[in-house]
Amino acid sequence: MQARGPAPRPPIGVAFDGDLGHRIDAVLAVAMLNGFAAKGEARRIALSISRPNLKAAQVADVLSRFYAGRPVSATAGGVGQASEGMIGMPEGPVAGDDPATLTAILSKKADDGTAVYSSSITQLRDTAENAVLVRNMLLAQNDANAIVVLAGPATGLARVLALYGSRPQIVAKAKLLVVAAGAFPSGSPELSIKSDVAAARKLFAEWPAPLVAVGSEVGAALPYPGASIETDFAWAPAHPVADAYRASKTMPYDAAASALAATLHAVHPDDGYFKLSEPGTITVLDDGRTRFTPGAGERDGRHRYLIVDPAQTDRIVQLYKDLVSAKPAPRPGRRGGAE
Amino acid sequence: MIITGKTLPRRTFLRGAGAAIALPFLDSMFPAMAALGRRVAPPVRLAFMYVPNGIDMKNWNIEQEGAFSAPFPRVMKPLEPFRNDMLQLGNLTHNSGRALLDGAGDHGRCSGSYLTGIQVKKTTVDIKASISCDQIIANKIGQETRFASLELGMDDARQAGDCDSGYSCAYTNNLAWRSETQPLPPILDPRVLFERLFGTGVVLSPEETDRQALYRRSILDFVVNDTKKLQTSLGPTDRRKLDEYLSSIREVERQLEKAEKDSVALNPGLEKPYGVPPDFAEHFKLMTDMLLIAFQADLTRVVTFMMTREGTSRSYREIGIADGHHPCTHHQGKPDLMEKVTQINEYHTKQLAGFLERMKSSAEGDSNLLDNSMIVYGAGLSDGNRHLHEDLPTLLIGRGGNYVRPGRRVIYRKETPMCNFHLTLMDRMGVPTEYFGDGSGPLDPASLT
Repeated sequence: MQARGPAPRPPIGVAFDGDLGHRIDAVLAVAMLNGFAAKGEARRIALSISRPNLKAAQVADVLSRFYAGRPVSATAGGVGQASEGMIGMPEGPVAGDDPATLTAILSKKADDGTAVYSSSITQLRDTAENAVLVRNMLLAQNDANAIVVLAGPATGLARVLALYGSRPQIVAKAKLLVVAAGAFPSGSPELSIKSDVAAARKLFAEWPAPLVAVGSEVGAALPYPGASIETDFAWAPAHPVADAYRASKTMPYDAAASALAATLHAVHPDDGYFKLSEPGTITVLDDGRTRFTPGAGERDGRHRYLIVDPAQTDRIVQLYKDLVSAKPAPRPGRRGGAE
Repeated sequence: MIITGKTLPRRTFLRGAGAAIALPFLDSMFPAMAALGRRVAPPVRLAFMYVPNGIDMKNWNIEQEGAFSAPFPRVMKPLEPFRNDMLQLGNLTHNSGRALLDGAGDHGRCSGSYLTGIQVKKTTVDIKASISCDQIIANKIGQETRFASLELGMDDARQAGDCDSGYSCAYTNNLAWRSETQPLPPILDPRVLFERLFGTGVVLSPEETDRQALYRRSILDFVVNDTKKLQTSLGPTDRRKLDEYLSSIREVERQLEKAEKDSVALNPGLEKPYGVPPDFAEHFKLMTDMLLIAFQADLTRVVTFMMTREGTSRSYREIGIADGHHPCTHHQGKPDLMEKVTQINEYHTKQLAGFLERMKSSAEGDSNLLDNSMIVYGAGLSDGNRHLHEDLPTLLIGRGGNYVRPGRRVIYRKETPMCNFHLTLMDRMGVPTEYFGDGSGPLDPASLT
């Protein structure tokens, strides 16, 4: 009889926190994570939005349900971990703005007048605080088998640092934080950081594990091709990502996509898609600009930023299209995203 | 007993050979305040009452948030008379009860983490949890009472062995932990509890114990001289209060004597302590009657009560259920088993209702004992069939001394740590604590008050 060895290590788990209302690349990144899951290369272990906006939470729920290929329960379904359908959202006054990206999805009606996409989220209590959700999901992962991707304000993620005992847990579980924000080595203040400078400053200063920043220059150099929306998503009669993309800006356009670069680097950091800066320290200035200082510095050189390699551009954009337009991943086993 | 001047010390005991009975709150303990028409606020008491194997959530959760308006669902139904005395809390979660890579053993984890707030070590040997929140409170306020805390149970107090997939019985059978390696086993035997509450701690020889048992008299007989002396110094109201209180102790004694006789007559081979009644309801009533007296006489302000141990397979023949509780909860959707779970849950809340009625009937100044208490009733699992650790069934009963605004269903955000509730309770008990378990901060006070 053959001895049974240790269970195989599951694919890397990605906790994604994004500004789904104001960044179409964050919506695309959720789709990309589905593409990775379909290929068995990554698991989305947590989905949270980075601004307190109920409609954004509803859209996150719509995406979660769409890619699950079935209704997913946010109230029960967590075997060994928080349930897969749970959506995280920061504490704080709920935003009153309704970006077009969100309303396009939530108000879309079928011919019979019924909503095309449905969400079980109707009020704040239907969401989890994203700091707690991210912490809880990290705890359910094997050591160094999780990555956190942020594509929005750091409001919620910075609060993870305030949770008692969370720092050693981050060090143990999250081998990398990839932040799609800022501009490197220098540039104008960027929206995600400007939206909550204090939180961004705290995150860069105190995140206890390695951090890679993906600046707006990467997103601009590697945009998502708008033409793909009209051709690659036709397999679904209604596709929330395509609808969001069309609503985000007047078509045709190619969307700056630093969140996609961040997600790709998170899952395949060693596959040569990008170059990395030398180690250093990123600080956030009062006006929201980011500054990179090479060398060990205060943070032991834990920070780097991503650099576009022109030789990889075509390969990357093709991969973007394949992953973002992928059909839902096959339904996982009973344990879902748990390790 | 020494009475000096006109003020009766709060810590007055009626003493006799081998007996020491503490007194309830009497007006004459605060004559100066009474003369000014002001009352000293009675202390706030806290009890955690734990039921195992989750609860039938479909028949537990009240759908509507806010003030209770609709009739209670089936498991809550026995608590209808107390709808204005309680909060039903929703979405409290114990992440540390989840597997988090430790595999099977949800029962061991859920009870181990319930008051400690941490993921306990999966072991049957070198157990490791953390100090529980009740003990943090007891450490701080316990010197004000005869017992810093009381740990009660009704099922099983084994501390060794494997009780769930590699988790020590220390995790499934205890709620209170003095330190990370030292659980506080519950008292199961009502006689032992009685002796603890009213004995002096003097160790009697076996011959003396036998003689006392043979000629057992009421404990009140031993303190009759002190009682008479005290009665002459009390006003009519306090005299009535004292009579009622001593009668309640005598009633407990009668129940104990009956239980001891029944225990021998009905179950001569039963592996239970001598004084444990075979009937669940009778056992529960005895234990809670003494819990009530302990609160009334301010013998302690902190109690944990494990109604049955986590994961128990106890049957409930009292209500015609011969199957074990735990197997029933793994019903896999079979209606007959689901019905049995509902009946067991309902049976538990019926017992709870009896206790609450007695608490509410126990006057204390202008209010009653229930008003000055916080009784937390709940379980470490919600859905016992699927072993879910979210939306844990939780009631907060009583007003906690004019703190809690009851009569409502409060639903928190998903994944709200149960430890946030513990932080809130610790705060209310006068022990503000910055961090506890995996808590992210106390609950919004406005949600409770």
